[in-house]
Amino acid sequence: MAMTVAELELLKNKNIERILPSVPMFLVGMSTCGLGNGAESVYQSLEKEIELRHLNFKLKQTGCFGYCAEEPIVMMYQPQKPLVVYSRVNEKDISAIIDGIIKSKIYRKKILCRIDFWDHLTSKIEYGKDYEDIPHWDEISFFKGQKKIVLRDAGFIDPESILDYIAVGGYQALSKVLTGMQPNEVIDEVTKSKLRGRGGAGFPTGTKWSIMQHSKADVKYIVCNADEGDPGAYMNRNEIESDPHALIEGMIIGAYAMEANQGVIYIRAEYPLAVKRFQMAMQQAREYGLLGNNILNTGFNFDIQLVEGAGAFVCGEETALIASIEGKAGRPMPRPPYPAERGLYGKPTNINNVETWCNIPVIIEKGSDWFTKTGTERSAGTKVFSLVGKIKNTGLVELPLGSTLEKFIFEIGEGTGNNKRIKAVQTGGPSGGCIPVEYFSTPVDYESLSSLGAIMGSGGMVVMDQDNCMVDVAKYFLEFSANESCGKCTPCREGLSQALAIMNKISKGEGNFQDIETLELLTRTIKDTAICGLGQTAPNPILTTLRYFKNEYEEHIQEKRCHAGTCESLFLALCENSCPLHMNIPGYIELIKEDRIEEAFELTLRDNPIPGTIGRICHFHCQMRCRREMVDEPVAQGEIHRYLADTMYQLGKENEIYNRLIAEKLPSSGKKIAIVGAGPAGITAAFYLVRLGHEVTVFDAMPEAGGVLRYGIPQYRLPKSVLKKELKLIKKLGVKFVFNTRIGKDIFLQDLKNNFNAVYLAFGAWKDIDLNIPGENAKGVFAGTDLLKELSLDKTPRIGQKIVVIGGGNVAIDAARSLWRLGKDVTVVYRREKIDMPANKDEIAEAEAEQIHFRFLSAPHEILTDNSGRVNALKIEIMTTGPVDTSGRRKPIATGKFEEIPCDTVVLAVGERVDSAPFVAEGLKVTKDGRLIVHPFTFQTSEPNIFAGGDAVMGPATAAEAMGMAKRAAEAIDWELMKEKRFHLLFKKFEYRNVIPTDIKKSPKNVSAKIQVKERIGNFHEVSTGYTGEQARDEVNRCLRCDVKVN
Amino acid sequence: MNQPTSAIISEELIDEIIGKYQNKPGFLLSVLEEIQEKNPLKYLPAETLQTVAAKLNLPYSRVYGVVTFYSFFNLRPQGKHSIVVCRGTACHTKGSKQLLNEIGHSFGMNHQDENSEASFTTADNQFTVRTVACFGQCAQSPVVEVDGKIYSYVNSQKLLKILENVKKNGVQKNFSVNTSR
Repeated sequence: MAMTVAELELLKNKNIERILPSVPMFLVGMSTCGLGNGAESVYQSLEKEIELRHLNFKLKQTGCFGYCAEEPIVMMYQPQKPLVVYSRVNEKDISAIIDGIIKSKIYRKKILCRIDFWDHLTSKIEYGKDYEDIPHWDEISFFKGQKKIVLRDAGFIDPESILDYIAVGGYQALSKVLTGMQPNEVIDEVTKSKLRGRGGAGFPTGTKWSIMQHSKADVKYIVCNADEGDPGAYMNRNEIESDPHALIEGMIIGAYAMEANQGVIYIRAEYPLAVKRFQMAMQQAREYGLLGNNILNTGFNFDIQLVEGAGAFVCGEETALIASIEGKAGRPMPRPPYPAERGLYGKPTNINNVETWCNIPVIIEKGSDWFTKTGTERSAGTKVFSLVGKIKNTGLVELPLGSTLEKFIFEIGEGTGNNKRIKAVQTGGPSGGCIPVEYFSTPVDYESLSSLGAIMGSGGMVVMDQDNCMVDVAKYFLEFSANESCGKCTPCREGLSQALAIMNKISKGEGNFQDIETLELLTRTIKDTAICGLGQTAPNPILTTLRYFKNEYEEHIQEKRCHAGTCESLFLALCENSCPLHMNIPGYIELIKEDRIEEAFELTLRDNPIPGTIGRICHFHCQMRCRREMVDEPVAQGEIHRYLADTMYQLGKENEIYNRLIAEKLPSSGKKIAIVGAGPAGITAAFYLVRLGHEVTVFDAMPEAGGVLRYGIPQYRLPKSVLKKELKLIKKLGVKFVFNTRIGKDIFLQDLKNNFNAVYLAFGAWKDIDLNIPGENAKGVFAGTDLLKELSLDKTPRIGQKIVVIGGGNVAIDAARSLWRLGKDVTVVYRREKIDMPANKDEIAEAEAEQIHFRFLSAPHEILTDNSGRVNALKIEIMTTGPVDTSGRRKPIATGKFEEIPCDTVVLAVGERVDSAPFVAEGLKVTKDGRLIVHPFTFQTSEPNIFAGGDAVMGPATAAEAMGMAKRAAEAIDWELMKEKRFHLLFKKFEYRNVIPTDIKKSPKNVSAKIQVKERIGNFHEVSTGYTGEQARDEVNRCLRCDVKVN
Repeated sequence: MNQPTSAIISEELIDEIIGKYQNKPGFLLSVLEEIQEKNPLKYLPAETLQTVAAKLNLPYSRVYGVVTFYSFFNLRPQGKHSIVVCRGTACHTKGSKQLLNEIGHSFGMNHQDENSEASFTTADNQFTVRTVACFGQCAQSPVVEVDGKIYSYVNSQKLLKILENVKKNGVQKNFSVNTSR
């Protein structure tokens, strides 16, 4: 029996107590993501506890509130109080949460936010005011700025209850339409709302409806496309699971407007819960006379049938979807005719995406004027995105169209949440593209994303970080599209599989540069000639990665490397791949396990000429990608090779191996090479080039070799004796050193050019960056690197007693700890938070152990001086943290509050830059910030026989990075001089066991002993004593040997 | 104990299922979906397809074409336990390919074909391993579904535990694996 409009109103008023009951109530988010995280057992525990204690509490399942990373989410309702939202709830919390209500002292752990009122748009619910110390939902990062139009009910109502939906104003828009609006008026309203198709193409909905309305036929169909096939997107799933009646209401209104009386929803079979909830919703709607004949007693007839998709991505294309509903293979048809003329079973058909339909009731209820206030001129309203991948706050994000990518990824998502850098975001799934981080200020709307070569798509937003290879991402999507190609048209069927074959070649390191051109030509052709959207857009992932990440393709082709560590055929193990020197880490680890210490050392030495040094001061890139992290924490690969080197030197066995390297030097090539700079890059290049038979001379401005290792890093981290010992090898190999010679002053580049066959420039980055604050030139202000240089020359700098070091990098920490050793009172001032400091974490921890003071979130404002012009204080501005910025760190935001730190000395260590002036004067090309420009693979500068590397090219980087670059440059220089592949002759294959350890138990990494803090004052003795033999043997056994391939 | 390796459902049941969906949108898909679901080995043997074609008065090629077009349909018997690895984008960025390889290895399978993903049933018909384009569980990636239950934030260590449990306990019920992040 049909319900009347008046009865609907009555039902609404009567059921408001379902939303605002007079007793406490729990709402448990039970969509797929909640259930996947234990919501069901939380629900059951609540149920049991309420029953056990005989409480008059209500319990309700709801849809998803959107913050999937925080599931299971439980909302606690108490009459006249705000909703309290708990996150990551488990069974153990239940009792305490219930106690909180009973004792009127709410459980304070795991609270995410509070909700005072909620605007369902179809009604407003006031919960109450209290708990103002808890942030309101729209004040926390994830929700700040979100506007819930589509997700207006998600998380608040029981999706399996029509009464809940009616209670918050559901079906009122339908009632309004059926009793007071002509079909034309409805279409006008939708047209004026500027709503565009949310499936991704963005066709104006009003126009689409109008065309359909004008098609006259006895039967017309409207279809809801819920075949959400984009991998990485799940908005539609959630919209159906959380609020199925909103979709039904939208469809009925659409049917009325377009004068259709049959509806079909096509849901993919992979969404069983969505199917179940939609079926229940239809059933209930029929029972209440909202579906079927004589809807709301107005004489309008309409019903919906549900069809489950069977797993074919192409069925998201409307003509393929129609074929599928007709029970055929889902192959698209060329358009026209459009479905509006001839669609399902040959009848006029209108197809819209789930989200498009969900917007309709609100547009009718609030009016098009209201709707167009949100979004941009051309793209009105909001769009729901699924923000996933390498991002801290994953979930469904609904923002006004036109919000920037930065807003989504850094403000809402808060970056990666770890120390990895974000590289790109992929929008639009297999039809979309990868947008690099440099373009994150782009607004998210249909046109802006298209202009970048991506598409808005249905709303997938997958974030990629530095560990994701863009060649692999492109290959992944291509593999997907090639598999999903229906096979009907040749460009798509054949073209995609040919393109995939090329991508496979490239990802295995077997590609060539011609392949890139072929790929571009091929994919452009497919784009222009395929029949349907699948084929026309499948090239987008390839084209955008070629556009923005061509360097990665070239690295796979030229270097045969996948720096992200994804393409497995291109590396041995993740640690090896992350090591800039590509040391065979699993190799030396296994050799140590087998007690073959000398061979382990030899293997190490061939990869890295200064293993004892680097084992002490490396940034340990290897540890950032260690599979062991899955069990407990990374293997300390660096400590192991330090142990290896120290042990060999103690035993005095290194000379035997040194002699071996000397003996196997290649015969003299007759070529002379000059290297400028005896730092990590210079000595590494020298080590390899001299062994290749070249005559190598290294020039350096300082009196000894080592560069930053000798004149920057303090002795308590790296004793001079260790470095000296290791550098002896370079001399023994026959490298000549010319010290106290500065280019541009004592000797000129032109001289080197005239007298050598090749020149390698590796002069580092030594110039301190100015802070540009008043007082910088006062007496008592020092540059960090100058100070460290003086200390390394055993001079005692003439500085005061109370010292402020400005900066957060290794130079700042090195300076602070050195000065502390001289008995000074040291404070480090840094404008961001501790976690954001670029210095090595261990160094920061040791500095803290040494009780060096830290002032975080303090931006230097002015250096204050006394009458004589001497420093007497540093004025700082107190900062607070803002949203995450593109560096992945929280932006420091000025508070306007100032403070003075009294001091007599200020050390500036805010970074260094390259001083390339003498080289620019001699014609070399440099970047804006003064770095030498080189070819990425040949390392040639703007002059072909002058090569460069290290910090002089990269800007301040790690020693290992500089050495890795120099190693590659040595190979390139040798090739340039000899035109023959010889570099591999310098390496040797060691045979060792390849057995994967089984029965892995948790065991944290070994930590080497350190000298006591009180014993560090007044001296520069090395702090870390390194591993004992026992520790080293234990540590090597922690390696999971992920380099061993099971095949 | 080995699983049976073939099963055919009765004509009566096929009639009943056809009767249920006749003349409704999507009827061929719905009919085939339900018939497969009713088959104890969750597949559509050739005999069944022939029966369906004859009863619906459709060419066999049409029915076969539909079955091979959609990934939901299986032409071969499925194992007693199903392991479905999500290959959606979010899962891919978080290493689902490696998980898939590791599952293969743990069953002694070595997948060589680079143009398609691993999908196989073990010789004793105990396990079927396959992939799905996306479960839509992207926020908690990578996810793996074992016997209909989705496990979130899976890594190879967790996965090994889940598989060991399935292998040891046969039909696994309510055993819990820590899904915390």
